Amino acid sequence: MRIASLIRWIVFALAAFILNFPVIATLITSFKSNAEISRNPGLCIREPTLANYATVFDPAGRFDVWQFLGNSLTAALIGTILPIALCFPAAWAMARRGVGMNVLFPAAVNLRALPLIVFAIPLYLMYQTLGLLDTKLGLGLILAVVNIPIALLILTNTVRELPYELEEAARMDGASMATLLFRIVLPMCRPAIVTVFIFGFITAWNEFLFGLMLTTRDAVPITVGASFFFASGGGGVQWGVAAAIIMVSAAPPVLLGLVMYRHIGGSMTGGAVKG
Amino acid sequence: MSLSQRSENAILTAPLVLFLLALLGFPTVLDVIYSLSDVSFETLRAPTFTGLDNFRAVLADPDFWQATWFSLKFAVLTSVAECVLGLALAIYFSPILRRAPWMLAILIMPMIIAPAMMGLMYRLVLHEFIGPLPNYLYNWFGVSYGFLTAQNVFKTIFVIETLQWTPFALLLFHMAYESIPEDIREAASVDGTRGWRLLTRIELPLMLPTLGVALFIRFIDGFRVFDNIWTLTGTGPGGSTTSLSIYIYVAFFRSGEIGQAIAASMILFAAAFLVLFVAARRGRGKETA
Amino acid sequence: MTFRKKMLTATALSALMATAAQAEVTVLGWPGGPEEEALRAVTEIYNAKDDVAEENKVELLFFSRDGFFDKLQADLAAGSDAFDVNLLATYSIGRYAPYMEPITLSGEAEGVFGDTVLSTMQFEGAQYGVPTDLSMHFLFFRSDLMEELMGDEDAKATYAAISEEYLGTAMEPVAPDEMTWEDFAATALYFSRSVNPDSPTRYGTVLQMKNLLFNMMVFQSLPRAYGADWMDADGNITVDSEAYRTGLEMYKMLYDAGATPTDSLSYEFPEANAAFTSGQVAMMVQWNGASGALTGAESAPMTADVTDSVAPPTGPEGRFTHIHGLGLGLNKNAQNPDGAKAFLEWLSTEEAAVAYATAGGAPGLTGTAIEAVAEARPDLVPLGEFASNYGYVMNGATGANALSIYELQAQEFTGYWGDTQSLDEALSAAEAGMADLLK
Repeated sequence: MRIASLIRWIVFALAAFILNFPVIATLITSFKSNAEISRNPGLCIREPTLANYATVFDPAGRFDVWQFLGNSLTAALIGTILPIALCFPAAWAMARRGVGMNVLFPAAVNLRALPLIVFAIPLYLMYQTLGLLDTKLGLGLILAVVNIPIALLILTNTVRELPYELEEAARMDGASMATLLFRIVLPMCRPAIVTVFIFGFITAWNEFLFGLMLTTRDAVPITVGASFFFASGGGGVQWGVAAAIIMVSAAPPVLLGLVMYRHIGGSMTGGAVKG
Repeated sequence: MSLSQRSENAILTAPLVLFLLALLGFPTVLDVIYSLSDVSFETLRAPTFTGLDNFRAVLADPDFWQATWFSLKFAVLTSVAECVLGLALAIYFSPILRRAPWMLAILIMPMIIAPAMMGLMYRLVLHEFIGPLPNYLYNWFGVSYGFLTAQNVFKTIFVIETLQWTPFALLLFHMAYESIPEDIREAASVDGTRGWRLLTRIELPLMLPTLGVALFIRFIDGFRVFDNIWTLTGTGPGGSTTSLSIYIYVAFFRSGEIGQAIAASMILFAAAFLVLFVAARRGRGKETA
Repeated sequence: MTFRKKMLTATALSALMATAAQAEVTVLGWPGGPEEEALRAVTEIYNAKDDVAEENKVELLFFSRDGFFDKLQADLAAGSDAFDVNLLATYSIGRYAPYMEPITLSGEAEGVFGDTVLSTMQFEGAQYGVPTDLSMHFLFFRSDLMEELMGDEDAKATYAAISEEYLGTAMEPVAPDEMTWEDFAATALYFSRSVNPDSPTRYGTVLQMKNLLFNMMVFQSLPRAYGADWMDADGNITVDSEAYRTGLEMYKMLYDAGATPTDSLSYEFPEANAAFTSGQVAMMVQWNGASGALTGAESAPMTADVTDSVAPPTGPEGRFTHIHGLGLGLNKNAQNPDGAKAFLEWLSTEEAAVAYATAGGAPGLTGTAIEAVAEARPDLVPLGEFASNYGYVMNGATGANALSIYELQAQEFTGYWGDTQSLDEALSAAEAGMADLLK
């Protein structure tokens, strides 16, 4: 038994290393000077430096990385919370009553298969008229569209798996629709909602194309802002700075994942089945 | 309880429908017009109606079919690989994850990195002179393996995609596995069902819906793959890494064939809609049966 | 205050703010490189001038470098007024001209830049921009290795044997500045370990063969030296020619022989620089923009001291380098066109050009302007010289579809190099596509 457990840990460490290899390599590169990158491509650092991070956060620098991060945060939160709010009631109606399963569900879920780029120009023209161009709200709204398919899919699937008895009992007691949804169903869906939140936040945070097309100055997200730092003379890539900005821009979703992990795993066992 | 079920249903779904209509209604109408017109960036506000020409041109374009085939192959291979690996790892690691749940955070880290940046980082990681991987290969084995040659590039991006998104499947399976009620396992062990039999007879069937969802999401994401390939190899030597999304992006922006690009996505939307429509029908049929 | 009054004040305030914002001149520049630094420097000078009114001061704006031109195209096509002045490039001038206004340069412009350089910003006879930066290609090489090769009899024997085997004639090494493309190929083979196990470097050269339009510009100078052009005077497409065949086959031969890194089919600018500065490559044709990175002690600690550059190799039809320019021009929907015009006019004066060059930009200069910066920027001297002696633009390469043609060539040519199609297939596909695009 002990040997099996030891092997399990070794496999775990190995899997963690392989899955995270590009992340590890990037992290290490972010602590290397340009000179060292060209001289020493390996995974150990001879002269670790914080210079790349200093470049990124230079307060007198050409670009304000904090503003990019703030824009991304606002837009990503809009683009994550809105789809959950919109999809949760619809998912219940779909799962329990089959509402919209013929058209609404396939059409909405299908949006994920589409390269949304085809909406870029019409959206641009529409945003231009509505004054949503280069605003965090405008970016957040389209990120919400991006996240609707997965929110709807996971929430519908979750509601369908919930035990029906609880809801039935509540109905018998004369609970209203709202009570039923928010007092009974919602708590049971919490792990799924957290999962949708995390997936959605990551997707919204990492979106590039709409960020590029629909913002110019005030609402530029970090994915777009990051590429300001990549380039050096003549279109080249400063690998060290690129690595540092990648780490900086990945930090918020990583932190989110660390804070939220406990809601994903164990709590599912508690919530869902006790009834 | 004063509301009829009909109006309840309307209230429950209305916000979603209205939101989608508000944001995508106008763009969809305009896209339909564009797809039936000869339109370029210069004529965005004055397209010329050409009927189904764009659809005909797309269907007759061998590059469109090549891109479709690429996306299909890529989606099937990566989604299956990710789900098999994710499922195996989720179950195998469950004792570890139960004891130290924060370990999960380590495993799901790769999917947090933006795919576009992932592609960029692989340009560094796989570079023959400054990338760690080729460096060790050369120093230890004396090989210069071309990860991105026309012959190897598909394998390489397959591995890259799988490494980044196996954690996604793993996370879903971990949740499903942990939510199997303990009493079911206990009851099974009383009957003498343990180990492999417990897994295949009891646990896996219970996880089947999650498997379906995970496969489906990963298939769709694999099918529409764009960012990581775009930053790593672009369209690839001779167009060998042109996914359907890349095909559409290039037609849209680089060739300025806006009508054709939109026609291609409409064909894609129609095909995907049909598949889901049938799937939803069959799923419902089973439920009522 | 009554509600009505509040409203009025608010309206007045917002109107005021709107005019304040409108009155500035917003300039969209090329982010992240020396172009950005230079633009910032000249903007500072301009804004400090007494005769520049407060409402005409210049404010800079930058987009992401990834997808820059796609975004710019969407903005221009949708009639955006977020900027008054925007970047343009020779190869995209035909594409953006419909959304821009021709401009008038200062009287000094012709003496400062010269006709060749000014023409990189012209479309259908009209001047659409001030040429700020000039891009072309240099042959960068390791001077230490070349000297060693020239002075070693054994090496010369190996060199002769290799050139006989791969190119059909026994050749002698020549200095980089005298090289033909045949010499280039022979030297590349000699310095490759897969061909010559004793080679001091792993690869003789590094070719940028990624499916990318910019790589086609680098490649173009090779077939050009054999007389290649996109179309003849009558408008016939001439890509299926001996000249293009020779160039394409030479790349393929070098790639197959292992004279360029195995992954060259995914290489572009930064990958090639990284390979060169690792010390494992003997020479390469690269953008002049790489000069700083390849000869700076910080960025190239191992090779900076022994790296030198000349114009690209020569061929039967002469010596050529592809040139294109970056510049700044006027958005048709500019909110402050007069302020923008004033800034652009000033930008084309000798004062501005010299300041731009001193601050790190790479303008193509002539006459007194180049004399003024020669000491601070010696690398700009050959730039102007090469541009007028060897610079060329393919017939049709400033048209509305130039970008699409480069893309098409990239697609077809890399297909041939990567063995996904034959040379004949590649050339006939390129010819058919180009005929369509150049109509």
